[in-house]
Amino acid sequence: MIFRAIHQVDEVLRGRGTVPSELIRGELRLTARPLLIASVVLAMSYGVCMSVFALVRGAGSSDAWIQLLASTVKLPVLFLATFVVTLPSLYVFNVLMGAKLSPKALLRLIAAMGAVILAVLASFGPIVAFFSVSTTSYPFMIVLNVTACGIAGVLGLAFLLRTLGWLVSALDEPGMPEAEPDAVAVDRITTDTGSEQAGLEEETTGSAEGQALAPAEDGEPARDAFDADRAVDDAGAERDEIAALREADRRRAKLVFRVWVVIFSLVGAQMSWVLRPFIGHPGMPFTWFRNRESNFFLSVLRALGQLLGG
Amino acid sequence: MTAVIHNLLRDRPQRILLADTSLTRGSELISLVAVIAVFGFTYGIVMGAFGGLGPDRWLQITYSGLKTPLLLLATFALSVPPFFVLYTLIGLRDDFGEAVRALLATQAGLTIVLASLGPMMAVTYLSNRDYDTAVSANFVCFGAASLSAQYLLRRFYRPLIDRDRRHRPMLWAWLAIYGFVGIQMGWSLRPFIGAPGMSTRFLREDDWGNAYQALLNKLTGTLGL
Repeated sequence: MIFRAIHQVDEVLRGRGTVPSELIRGELRLTARPLLIASVVLAMSYGVCMSVFALVRGAGSSDAWIQLLASTVKLPVLFLATFVVTLPSLYVFNVLMGAKLSPKALLRLIAAMGAVILAVLASFGPIVAFFSVSTTSYPFMIVLNVTACGIAGVLGLAFLLRTLGWLVSALDEPGMPEAEPDAVAVDRITTDTGSEQAGLEEETTGSAEGQALAPAEDGEPARDAFDADRAVDDAGAERDEIAALREADRRRAKLVFRVWVVIFSLVGAQMSWVLRPFIGHPGMPFTWFRNRESNFFLSVLRALGQLLGG
Repeated sequence: MTAVIHNLLRDRPQRILLADTSLTRGSELISLVAVIAVFGFTYGIVMGAFGGLGPDRWLQITYSGLKTPLLLLATFALSVPPFFVLYTLIGLRDDFGEAVRALLATQAGLTIVLASLGPMMAVTYLSNRDYDTAVSANFVCFGAASLSAQYLLRRFYRPLIDRDRRHRPMLWAWLAIYGFVGIQMGWSLRPFIGAPGMSTRFLREDDWGNAYQALLNKLTGTLGL
């Protein structure tokens, strides 16, 4: 199961689960469970690396070992809790913007994003562990871990935005009014929810130009041609207007998803503050959670200030 | 060995070590690591010989010989995992092996240049017994070797960049990660030269601190903040 999970993560990182040509058809070739399992394992491995600082500075005391256990457990909880808290809003935004992903498909997408974030984070783990061994500065370790999480978050959210962008570009085309005889192509995009099959349907109607070119019998060929040309022009103008409206819709959808990304980042940062400590201050006794005071951003600014102030 | 040096330092980007294709990719990597170990050790023992060649200095000389290739290879090993993930994310996974060979070959070239500067370092030690001068001279040697390595790196990486321009930002990412880790690694593995008045130790664990913290403290002290 672990190998399958790692293989799934590899597929996601390579982009094979989110191929643009398939996303446009509403297909999302991923399964959530192995990705979630892999995410938990990757988060635990980074949690171990984070707590090496406490282990080394605590000289192997019992508090230090408990801190290691706590960080190993809390880091997957941090990410899962952040996803659970932000998933409903993503679903609502998704429906509002017409991207038409089912809750199941959205869960798969979030699981993929989580796998990307945690794969990047876990790859920084050995570097964090090395600095934990060779550094005595607790503020430096805070800044280092926040930076690593920040880089991983940016890459994971970029992956999500890119995938959502492809899905949004598969928004439904509204049908043309029946009176318009011009040739149109209608694409219907369905999303993959496991049992549904994604498909692409095309319908073409007769060409107005073809009809207009039928020879006139009453000696008024110029007037018939003029009417046909005007019909074609009107149809073309309406198509352009609809295309412009749809492009505006897509831009709005992308903006809304960017706003959601900011919300996700803020929730994740504050969730990490609620669940602290992860690193373990060498001068303080172990505790599973600290008092709820201040906030994540003030804490990071304080750590930066301590670093620069010496 | 001279064939290895020629092929590394001359213009053979496609087949880094030897002109013939008898080496497998795996043995090519092992050969590059061996070059780094041998030439890095060579420069390291010269670096550690500042205090002389007496029996009381053999331990420092040996430590310095071991730590120079350790500095390069350990930094490389720590930097590869995030580099691998970034390469996969950006869609260049299939070129990763070639990129790693190019980077290892650059390190091998750097150690060859360093080793070639060893005799000049020995003359510097013979002509000047000041520890700070020895430290500065070693900085200059490493600086010169690094500049040469940049030239080699561009040459080894050019076929990749010509194939796909996305390799260029990846190269910058590598330099950022490697530089960030390497500075701390160099700080943690000291002493390399060994001040004659101090006892010989492999590491100064009680004085580890943090290279960036030390640099910031020095900067803020200089600026009077």
